[in-house]
Amino acid sequence: MKIRISHATIYHYDTPPSGVTQLLRKTPRNYDGQYVLNWRLDLSQDCLLHQHEDAFGNITHSFTAEGPFKELSVAVVGEVDTQDTHGVISGALERFPTGLYLRETPLTQADDAIINFAESARAANGKDRLKLLHYMLAALNAEMTFDTDPTHVATTAAEAFKLRRGVCQDLTHIFIAAARRLGIPARYISGHFYRVDGVTEQNAGHAWAEVHIDDLGWVGFDATNGICTTDAHVRVAIGLDYLGAAPVRGARFGGGGETLTVAVHVDQAGRQTQS
Amino acid sequence: MLSRTADNLYWLSRYVERADYLARILEAAQRLSAMPSAYVGISNEWESAVATAGCSNLFFELYDEANEKNVTEFLAFSTANTSSILNCFETARTNARAVRTALTVAMWDAINGVWLELQRYRNSPKSREDFARFLRWVQESSTLIDGSAYRTMLRSNAYWFSRLGGQIERADNTSRILDVKYHLLLPADEPVGGALDYFQWASILRSVNALTAYHWVYREHVKPWLVADLLILNDKMPRSLASCYGNLVQNLDEIAGAYGRQGPAQRQARAIRTRLQNSRMDGIFQRGLHEFIGEFIIENNRLGSAITQQFLL
Repeated sequence: MKIRISHATIYHYDTPPSGVTQLLRKTPRNYDGQYVLNWRLDLSQDCLLHQHEDAFGNITHSFTAEGPFKELSVAVVGEVDTQDTHGVISGALERFPTGLYLRETPLTQADDAIINFAESARAANGKDRLKLLHYMLAALNAEMTFDTDPTHVATTAAEAFKLRRGVCQDLTHIFIAAARRLGIPARYISGHFYRVDGVTEQNAGHAWAEVHIDDLGWVGFDATNGICTTDAHVRVAIGLDYLGAAPVRGARFGGGGETLTVAVHVDQAGRQTQS
Repeated sequence: MLSRTADNLYWLSRYVERADYLARILEAAQRLSAMPSAYVGISNEWESAVATAGCSNLFFELYDEANEKNVTEFLAFSTANTSSILNCFETARTNARAVRTALTVAMWDAINGVWLELQRYRNSPKSREDFARFLRWVQESSTLIDGSAYRTMLRSNAYWFSRLGGQIERADNTSRILDVKYHLLLPADEPVGGALDYFQWASILRSVNALTAYHWVYREHVKPWLVADLLILNDKMPRSLASCYGNLVQNLDEIAGAYGRQGPAQRQARAIRTRLQNSRMDGIFQRGLHEFIGEFIIENNRLGSAITQQFLL
């Protein structure tokens, strides 16, 4: 499937800052299931933009924009050709042994409730890891209510699980926490999702988890949609949790009254939508 | 466009690129053989030149010994060897003539001019100096043909098919040049990383005009894994495998765009490019450079036949 993506983060400041430094992880890499046809990054301010790779091999861009300015927009636009690999990720850049992805982070720490959830899933499914993971995927999808209100970027897996509410980020964190607790390496993927229901305007990117299964390698599990990843998923960055794979991280010098708008547009390329 | 026309354009470029490559490995062998024998001991650079060209079997059917005279004759002027420089230009010109109307005047003039001049060289040059001059001329000729296509051809399927051939051949050749070092055995008393080893790597770089580029990129003395990095993974180096595959994918995308259809060739090229983009030099060296190159050449040939299957038959 040819998917066209535009992803813009627009900051508006009541009091202009004297500078903004950001690290972006908005540029996807190729793997066997996806090929980036073209990709462009646009900044509204003139500044030096450096391209690097982080430890996980994600493509990063960093810049420092000198103020003052009232608005800053960071936008990427591009097209990606995807293929359905039934969730199995092959041909991707792997920098670390899989054991690294057992490491817990503050955002993905399992509390008693998550441990109970994981253990009861194991008790119900025995040794078959694939069956176990699918069971957890379905259970989380059924149990959690998608709600953008109560959680925010710093909400931990435990907090969200307690509320039984959250966004894709929270569901992914819970899934990762449970998988790691069972000794299954798991990692956080940030990316984009093409929605079959025709909703092309989204106000955030998407996130899901990848877990490592011995015979298959890395497999994508999207708890928000209750499915393994398909050709509707565009994989952008990987990390141990949201903070490691976040599209934008940064700091601002001075200024204030910041409001952030995120506009994501994901559509099938070559298809015109009527508004 | 007729498959036959595409086929001619594709092979035209492949043969021109191959002639250039043969001239380069002959030049490298000449340079290596100019080392004082006290340094080298028993030398095998002529045998390795034949191995690098990938035609050892045919060579040893025709000749007993891989020495300077036999190898230069075989790789440059032999009519029995379909991939000798002489035959490459001959075939390129035959292909060009068959699709004369698909080429620009400048391009035809370049190819035909080269072919006419080639007749002067039919009787092998007598001295080493003459032969060296001939090798330079071969490289200049392929640059001329390549450049005239680049400057004058309309960017449409004729151009893209001719680029495809050149890039496939170039990727194959670059990987084979890197493999020379595997065939060039170091004498037993010569240390890895020693003077001779260094000289051999440097002459590999020199044979593809990449020695200066190497120093600009790495700012270090010549090290095997960095040479391999430059010629395999660095997409800013026009000869590197990464760069060839960037171009291959782009040309295949153009063709697919023009016909509105995707196919196995495009998918395979993208998969190989992805693998090159996601590889690191330490990983390649751990598994063995020679093994990597062997696999790559097979993959590259597979892409060649996928292109043939999809477009040229």
